[in-house]
Amino acid sequence: MRAFNLLILFSFLCLWSLFPFFLFGQSDRNGDRRVTATYYLSNTTLIPSPGKILTGQNLLFEDGVIKAVGKNITIPAEAQEIKGDSLFVYAGFIDMANKTGMVEPPIPEKPEHFDPSQPIPEIAGIHPHFSALDHFQENNPHDKEWRKLGFTLAQKLPKGKGMLPGSAALVMYGHESRNNILSDNQSLYFKFSTVGGVYPNTDLGVMAKWRDLIQNARLHEMHGQMYSSQKDLRRLEKDPVLEALIPVLNKETPLLIESTGELDIRRALKMQEQDKFNLIITGINEGESLIPLLKEKQVGMVLTLDLPEDKFSDVAEDKKGADFQHRTERAKKAYLEKLSLPGKFEQAGVPFGFTTKHLNRTDFLKNIRLMIDNGLSEEGALAALTVHPAEILKISAIAGTLSEGKMANMVLMSDTLFSEKAKVIMVISDGYLFDYSEKSNKIKKGDMVWEYEAETQGGKSKGKWNLTRKDKVWTGTVSYDDPQGGGIKTSTIKNAAITEASLAFSFTVEVGENTLEVKVSGDVTGESFSGNMEIKGYGNYPVKAKKLEKPEIK
Amino acid sequence: MQTKILLLGLWMICCSKVVCQAQNASKGDIFIKNAQVLTITNGLLENTDVLVQDGIIRQIGSGLRAPDGIPSIDATGKYLMPGIIDAHSHLALEVINEASSPITAEVKMEDVIDPFDVSIYRALAGGTTISHAMHGSANAIGGQNITLKHRYGTRDPDQLIMKEAPRTIKFALGENPTRVHGRGKNLQPRSRMGVEAVIRNGFEEALQYKKVWDDWNASGNDSKKQQIPPVYSSRLETLVAILEGEIIIHCHSYRADEIYMLIQVCQEYGIDKIVFSHVNEGFKVAPELAKYTMGASVFADWWAYKFEVYYSTAYNAAILTKNGVVTSINSDSDELIRHLYHEAAKTQRYGGLTDDEALALITINPAKQLGIAEQVGSIEVGKQADLVLFDKHPLSIYAIPQMTWVDGVKYFDRENDAADQRLKVDPEETLEPIFLHTEHHNCMRDVDFYFTGFGRNLFGHRH
Repeated sequence: MRAFNLLILFSFLCLWSLFPFFLFGQSDRNGDRRVTATYYLSNTTLIPSPGKILTGQNLLFEDGVIKAVGKNITIPAEAQEIKGDSLFVYAGFIDMANKTGMVEPPIPEKPEHFDPSQPIPEIAGIHPHFSALDHFQENNPHDKEWRKLGFTLAQKLPKGKGMLPGSAALVMYGHESRNNILSDNQSLYFKFSTVGGVYPNTDLGVMAKWRDLIQNARLHEMHGQMYSSQKDLRRLEKDPVLEALIPVLNKETPLLIESTGELDIRRALKMQEQDKFNLIITGINEGESLIPLLKEKQVGMVLTLDLPEDKFSDVAEDKKGADFQHRTERAKKAYLEKLSLPGKFEQAGVPFGFTTKHLNRTDFLKNIRLMIDNGLSEEGALAALTVHPAEILKISAIAGTLSEGKMANMVLMSDTLFSEKAKVIMVISDGYLFDYSEKSNKIKKGDMVWEYEAETQGGKSKGKWNLTRKDKVWTGTVSYDDPQGGGIKTSTIKNAAITEASLAFSFTVEVGENTLEVKVSGDVTGESFSGNMEIKGYGNYPVKAKKLEKPEIK
Repeated sequence: MQTKILLLGLWMICCSKVVCQAQNASKGDIFIKNAQVLTITNGLLENTDVLVQDGIIRQIGSGLRAPDGIPSIDATGKYLMPGIIDAHSHLALEVINEASSPITAEVKMEDVIDPFDVSIYRALAGGTTISHAMHGSANAIGGQNITLKHRYGTRDPDQLIMKEAPRTIKFALGENPTRVHGRGKNLQPRSRMGVEAVIRNGFEEALQYKKVWDDWNASGNDSKKQQIPPVYSSRLETLVAILEGEIIIHCHSYRADEIYMLIQVCQEYGIDKIVFSHVNEGFKVAPELAKYTMGASVFADWWAYKFEVYYSTAYNAAILTKNGVVTSINSDSDELIRHLYHEAAKTQRYGGLTDDEALALITINPAKQLGIAEQVGSIEVGKQADLVLFDKHPLSIYAIPQMTWVDGVKYFDRENDAADQRLKVDPEETLEPIFLHTEHHNCMRDVDFYFTGFGRNLFGHRH
C-alpha cells in the first residue's frame, strides 16, 4: 500500500519536471504584470533639487532607476509615455522616525516572584537587538495613504515602551508585489521613556542605565578581542543587548534619540559629549537657543511636523481682564515660536529633516504652509522633505534629488508644491506608478472596479466587478464567495451594457453540477450603484456597489 | 584708520566677553552702601558698605568708594544677609524618585534639572539663593543630589549647578523605604533591620567590587593577562566613592534608634561625611550627632504626618545647636523655601537662640553640611556674592526681602517684580492647572506607581 503511494508521488514529480513552464504560465493569470518597466515623462517642469527649476524636460526611468534627464534624450521604443506638460515634478518625499505599520514586539511574561529592581532587559524595555523589520506590516494601509501625499521612502522605528526599542530600518513605499526594504539597522533608536514599574522607571534611571550599558558594551568588546587571541580565558558569553550597542560606539550606526522638548535635546547632547557617537535627534519642537550648539556638534536633526493646536485664530472677544489677556498673549507667542522654529533652523544654515510621527495626514500640507508663513522658505521645506533627510540617512547617492542614477521616486503635482491649489496627480515610487489623478476615476476610458454588496437568502455576499473597455466593448470578471466554501471565485462578465447612468451585465456561477444564471442591472449616480440581482429560478436580491479609485498599475 | 583698528579691537574684546558669559554663569558687580550687614560669622556690622566685583565680595567696611561704572544701592536702614541656603529641597527637578530599586546610588539629579521651574524665582523672592536638589526618600540608598545656585533665567540646566559643591547622596531610613519596597513589592527592606541590611550589603558589595577592579587595573596592559574585564556598575562605583570619603551622605531619618544605627554603620565603615535630614528625634541623640556627623538638617515645627514622626518638638533645632551639632533648617517644600527666615525665627521663640545662631541655621550651617562653606554662607571678603537685602531684620515677622543677588547678579528686585515670571509657556494652555498642597508632593514624588488607593489612604503623607 505504502509503496503504491510512493509510486504515485514519484510519477507526479516526474510529470512536474516535464512541464516546468506550467508554473510560469500561471504567474500572470490575471494579467497583472505590467507591460513595461520603462517610462518617460515628457515635456515637463522638473524641480531636480530645491531651488532649481527646469522647464520642457524629459525624464526617462527604467526598472526603478532614472536613466536620463534633459530636453533631448533618446527614448527607447518600449518606454511608455507619461504626459508631463502642465505638471511639476519633485523628488519623492522622505519621512524620518516614523512608526506607521509597526506592531509592538512580544515581551516575555514576568515570572512568579518577579523582582522589579532586576528585570531581564526585554521586560525593562531594553531590547536594542530587536529589529524594526521583524515587527513591521509591510502592506499596511497607512503607508499607502502617506504615499498619496508624496512620500516614497521612510525610516521606520520599532515600537516598544522602554528606552531602547531596537534598530530602525529604511523602507520604500513601493509596489506591494516587491520587497520594499532598503536597509535594516539604519540607526539605533533611543528614547527617554520606560516601561513603568520596573528598573529603570524614570529618566533618572534611564540616564544611569545608559551609562552602565555603554561602559559594559566597551568591556564586552574588549573581552571579545582578548578571547579571540587567548582561548584559555573565560569564554565570552553572548549578550545581544551589549552587542547591539557596539556599532554605535564604533560610529558605524548612529544613535537616534527621540526628544519631546528642549531638556531632552540637552540630555541627548550630553550623552553624545560623553561617548562621541553619531547622533540624530528626532521630534524637535523647540530649542531655538540650542541651534548654534546643534550646528557645532553636527547632529542630524529631525523636526516634527506636528504643531500645537491653534487656539488663537478664532478667539471670541470677551472681557477676561488684563492678566488673562497677558497670559493669552504669552501663549500665542509660544505658539508662534513653534511655527517659526523650522525657519530659524533654516536661517542658521542648519539642515534638518521632518518626521510625520504624531501628525494627522490632513495636517501635513497645512502645517508646512504654516511653517512657510512663519519664515521657512519653500526651498527649505522641500529640502527638509528630500535632500536633507537623504543626507542624514546617508542615502544621497540614491534618493533626495532627481538626476541620472537616482531611484525613480517622484511626486507629480498639478501646481507648485506648496500652493493652495496644488494636487498630487501621480506618485512614482521605486519606478512604479500610483495614479491619483481625478480623471482616472471617470468611466469613459480604461478600467474600473466596483465593490458590491448583495443581500441574498444566505446572508450578505460581497465581491468586486472588474470591467475593462476595449473597442467600445466592456468585458470583465465578477468575484464572489464560493457558495461551496472554496474561497473567492471569479466568473466572466457577459452582455455588459454600461452608460454613465446605468450598468447591466450577466454571469454564471457553478454550484456542484448546477449552473446558476445571474443578471445584474441598476442605476449609477456618481460613484455609486444601486440595483437588482436576479438569480434565475431563485428570485431577486438588492445590490449596492461603490466605484473604487483606479487600481494601482502593477 | 587708527581709530578704525581701535574700534575693531574694542569690538573683538566685547565679542569675546559675550562668548565667555555664554559659556559660564554670569557674574556681576554691585556696591551696597550703608547697610546693616548681618555677616553671620562676624556679627552685625552697622552702616557698612559691601563691594562686589565679578561675583565676589571684595571689600566690607565704612566709607568705601566704588570704582566707576559699578552700580550702587543705598541700603540705609536695610538689612543685608548672605543668601539663604536650603539643605533639603526638591526644587527645579523633573523627576524626584527612581523608586524601582532599594539602592539607586547610580542615578544623578543633575540629569533632571528643570531650569524652567518658576519655583526658583519664588525662592529667590524669599531670599533663598542655593538649594540642595535631592533625590526622594523611597530608597534606602537613593540618588546623587546636586547643589543648585538659583540663577533663574537660564535655559541651560548646567548653568544652575554650583560647580564648587562636592558630591552628595541621599539615604533614607524608616517607613518610606520599607513601605515602597517591603510592603509595596515584597522586597527587602521590610523593616528597619532590613534597611540596615540593605545598606551594609551595599557597602560590602562595593568593597568586593573595588577589589575586583583594583586587581584588574593592577594587572596592567599585559596582553597575556589571565583576567577578563570586570563588569562595570556605576551603582557600586558610587558606593565605593562614599566609602572613600568623596561623597557626603544626606540621610532622611526620624527616629533616634535608626539615626544611631546609621552612625554606628558609618563608624564601622570609616565614613564621617554624613548629615541627617528631618531628624525629628535628633534631640535624643544630640551628643552623638555632634561627635560623629556633619550635623542635622531639621524642620522648625513640622511633624505628626505619619507614625514615625510623632515624637517631635519645636525645640529640636535649639537643643541640637546647644549640643554643638551643626544644625540647619530646611524646607523640603517649594512653598516653605520662600520664607525660611520665618522658620529660623521660630527657634528664638522655642529655645531662645541668638540672632546669629538663628540665622546660621539657614546660612553658614547648611553651607557646611553641603561642603560649600568656603564659598558661601556668610558675608566675608573673598566669598561669592550671594546676598539678600531685607527692609527689616530678617528674623522679624514683618521683614520682606527686597533684592536678591547670586554671584553679584540681581535676580530678584521687589521694585521690579513682574507678575508673570515664567520662562517657558505652554502654547496650548493659557491658564495652567494649579496644584494645591504643593508642599506635599516632594519626597515621595514619582513613586505613585507603586501605590494603590489603599496605600495612599493609609499613608496620606509624602515626607
